[in-house]
Amino acid sequence: MVHEHRFACPLPNGLHARPASLISELATSFGSDIRLINERTGSSANAKSVLEIVALDVKLGDPCRTTVAGDDANAAQSRLADFIEHEMPGCDEALPEIAPRSEVVLPRTLRRCSARWYPGTVVCPGIARGAVVVVGGVRLPTEIASDAEDAHAEERKLRGAIERVRSSLREKLKTAPSAVESAILRAHVAIAGDVGFAEKALASVAAGASAGRAIVEAAQYFAERMKSAESAYVRERAVDIEDIALQFLESIYGDCVRALDVVLAEAAIVVAENLSPRQLLAFDRRFLKGIVIEHAGVTSHAVILARSFDIPTLTGVADVRARLAAGTQAVVDANLGFVVAEVTPEVDRYHRRELAKGSRRRERLARHAHARASTLDGRALEVAANVSTAQELAPAFERGADAIGLFRTEMLFMDRPAAPSEDEQFEIYSAALRAARGRPVILRTFDIGGDKPVPYLNLPEERNPFLGLRGVRVYRSHQDVFDAQLRAIVRASAFGPVWIMLPMVSSLDEVRWVKSRLAEVRAELDRAKIAHDLALRIGVMIEVPSVAFQIDQFASEVDFFSIGTNDLAQYFLAVDREGESVAELYRTRHPSFLRFLVKIVEDAKRHGKWIGMCGEMTRSPRNLPLLIALGLDEISTAAPEIAALKASIARMSAAQCDELLRAATACRSADEVEALVASFRGRGETQALLDPECVAIEVDSSSKEEAIRDLVDTFFVAGRTDEPELVEDAIWAREAVYSTGLGHGFAIPHCKTDAISANSIGVARLARPIEWGSNDGEPVRCVILLAMRASDKDDAHMRVFSKLARKLMHDEFRERLLAATDCAALASGLAEELGLSADVVR
Amino acid sequence: MKIVAVTACPTGIAHTYMAAEQLEKTAKSLGHQIKVETQGAMGIENELSSAEIRDAEFAIFAVDIDVEQRERFAGKRIVQVAVQDAIKNPKAVFEKLRA
Repeated sequence: MVHEHRFACPLPNGLHARPASLISELATSFGSDIRLINERTGSSANAKSVLEIVALDVKLGDPCRTTVAGDDANAAQSRLADFIEHEMPGCDEALPEIAPRSEVVLPRTLRRCSARWYPGTVVCPGIARGAVVVVGGVRLPTEIASDAEDAHAEERKLRGAIERVRSSLREKLKTAPSAVESAILRAHVAIAGDVGFAEKALASVAAGASAGRAIVEAAQYFAERMKSAESAYVRERAVDIEDIALQFLESIYGDCVRALDVVLAEAAIVVAENLSPRQLLAFDRRFLKGIVIEHAGVTSHAVILARSFDIPTLTGVADVRARLAAGTQAVVDANLGFVVAEVTPEVDRYHRRELAKGSRRRERLARHAHARASTLDGRALEVAANVSTAQELAPAFERGADAIGLFRTEMLFMDRPAAPSEDEQFEIYSAALRAARGRPVILRTFDIGGDKPVPYLNLPEERNPFLGLRGVRVYRSHQDVFDAQLRAIVRASAFGPVWIMLPMVSSLDEVRWVKSRLAEVRAELDRAKIAHDLALRIGVMIEVPSVAFQIDQFASEVDFFSIGTNDLAQYFLAVDREGESVAELYRTRHPSFLRFLVKIVEDAKRHGKWIGMCGEMTRSPRNLPLLIALGLDEISTAAPEIAALKASIARMSAAQCDELLRAATACRSADEVEALVASFRGRGETQALLDPECVAIEVDSSSKEEAIRDLVDTFFVAGRTDEPELVEDAIWAREAVYSTGLGHGFAIPHCKTDAISANSIGVARLARPIEWGSNDGEPVRCVILLAMRASDKDDAHMRVFSKLARKLMHDEFRERLLAATDCAALASGLAEELGLSADVVR
Repeated sequence: MKIVAVTACPTGIAHTYMAAEQLEKTAKSLGHQIKVETQGAMGIENELSSAEIRDAEFAIFAVDIDVEQRERFAGKRIVQVAVQDAIKNPKAVFEKLRA
């Protein structure tokens, strides 16, 4: 007999995945046939299938009915009724949201518009607009293995795939780092094992379809039902089904079905859960404008590549694949760290203005890009580029790289079934050296292991891969692979200066062994009369702390050193640099780490060795004075940073940098160092208070927010601040006390902040008057911005500020500012009134 | 009339000096004798001596923050206004002296 139970759905969010999975778990524990019917729509589901239940689209209050038939129907019926009446109403808890990062704040000019936006972590700065292209896990192939073998063989493939994917998901679940990820993984395990899905696919196979065809059909069947559901939550789950189906397909057909064939045909923002380097390289970079990734560490390879290509990239944007609709326009602001899901007129204006500002800043920085960088007092510092492919060299030199400080060759070894041949590598290295046109290239031999596994090397699974077989430690057991690389490099050295750098060296023996291999390779080439450079240099990357205490001894074996700060800091501080729970402890501005660096560089210099630095620490402008003070010969960084770093070096005084480093190494905590570095001025000479570059007429600001931003941006473009947002915040903090509109069409916003590197006056005469909340209710036509450093006492500058303030009370002065016919006249008129001599104005 | 005044605003960069200028300008046009001390980012400037304070009939405080060394003005007739008021309508500030 058939038992029936009727109920109205008590759940405000409807019968979504969580209650559905509980019902299906319960139903699966009985042998009876259990069905759930949504009487509102008349559709019916196998209650053992989460997918079928969710596809019913049961909403709050929908009349529902369960039917139970079978041997244990009595027990099943009473257990089910009990669950529905007593337990189900309490299981409506939503999944925990990942809290948006509080430090990301929407710019004031965008706050009034209603566009949806999501914060993320900036990994490559810039701003971009394009059509959203969702990559990975959500594009089911339309052409898939249509020729089936016999039904039994296809069924075996299908069942095998389901089993493999389920067990791999369960494995991932064991190491899931967060509650949210665990919850999602559990949902995926349930989908992968869903009886409804399996039944549907098996039926197709029985009817003669291939396993691949059957998987695609079943996924489409469920995904379409979910996509048409009224609940947004259910619609978003369609992505999960397609993702699991893709995993089934990959499990049977290999990576060839992966969404690698995504073709970009217009300006695109690529949105993905994660990207492999191979995927990133496959995109047409003419159209790849921006990248938004849900999960990826700052040092993941896709991110490293994105940076080298200067593609604005955000990571850690929770659930973004479900939130950005494919094909719609989006704007990625990877300066402030957010993505906007709709391009309203305000967002469009914001994007255009930011783009224009970025190109003004780049243009200005370009003046410095191709000169050798040295401080005001003459300390030179080479600025080189980090690259991963030969194609990146030419653009890096265009951006002002003095050399290539790190060529990560392991990229050539990854995502492929066998190691690249000697000839293949020779072609790549020699192409790189030709592109370098005589500038040195530091080639780091392959650093594989740890977080960069490569299947053909058959490296063992390790409890802690970062402390296991990686870098130079792999070479002895894979001498054939290493020798091929060495021969390729030595042969390529005929095309330009090559420096070979060894990764993960922890003892002298490793260097000696490599040198013996090198000697042998050279001898072989000599015998074969193959040209190579006899001056080829060899060096070690300092990333294991043990090297630091034997620099004197290493110095007798090698030609140079380069400090790899990412790994050196993680080994030195014993902090996993990608571990979320210890992220707070990973601090390269730790006083002890700074002392360590001082010792390393001093020892290398004492023994007459060249020493550079590659790694994250070179990227932040805040670290620059510390690096200058260390006395490094070179820093090597992502190519897009080079021009700005060179421009900053040219403005600094090495003597003041030295003082900063001395003070920093005397600090007791990283926070103290932070405060010290933040207030560092580092200017060797006073920058002009009034720079004609910061004076403009006919400025196209449409609001107070835009006018303040425009003026701060002129400081940013002129290199007077690297942190324009902090300057803006300081101005708005003052503005909150009372409006700085002083009447007569003038406003005088101002602030004291160390985010400005030099006391500055900016003037914007507006094309159209704007509302400022002035004393006399009049709109503002002329805005004068005063920015003063908080930690300096520069009375001469302050006197100019107070003089300017007093003059603004006089009609004649204001009229003169309003009457000036061009920027130059405005700037020189102002300078004259303030008693600034021509050379102060510049 | 002999008047002393103190101006002081939150950041001490602009409004302190704008208010001082307005008070000086207006006093002159009204035929008063005034000395204005500014308490701004450069500290106390144009400092009032005890004799100057003693000889003045009134003290005007155009301030948004506390006046430093306020004890110097003990027993003085003080008119206190917001900095904004001194900038916007300085004449009204002087009218208060007569009230």
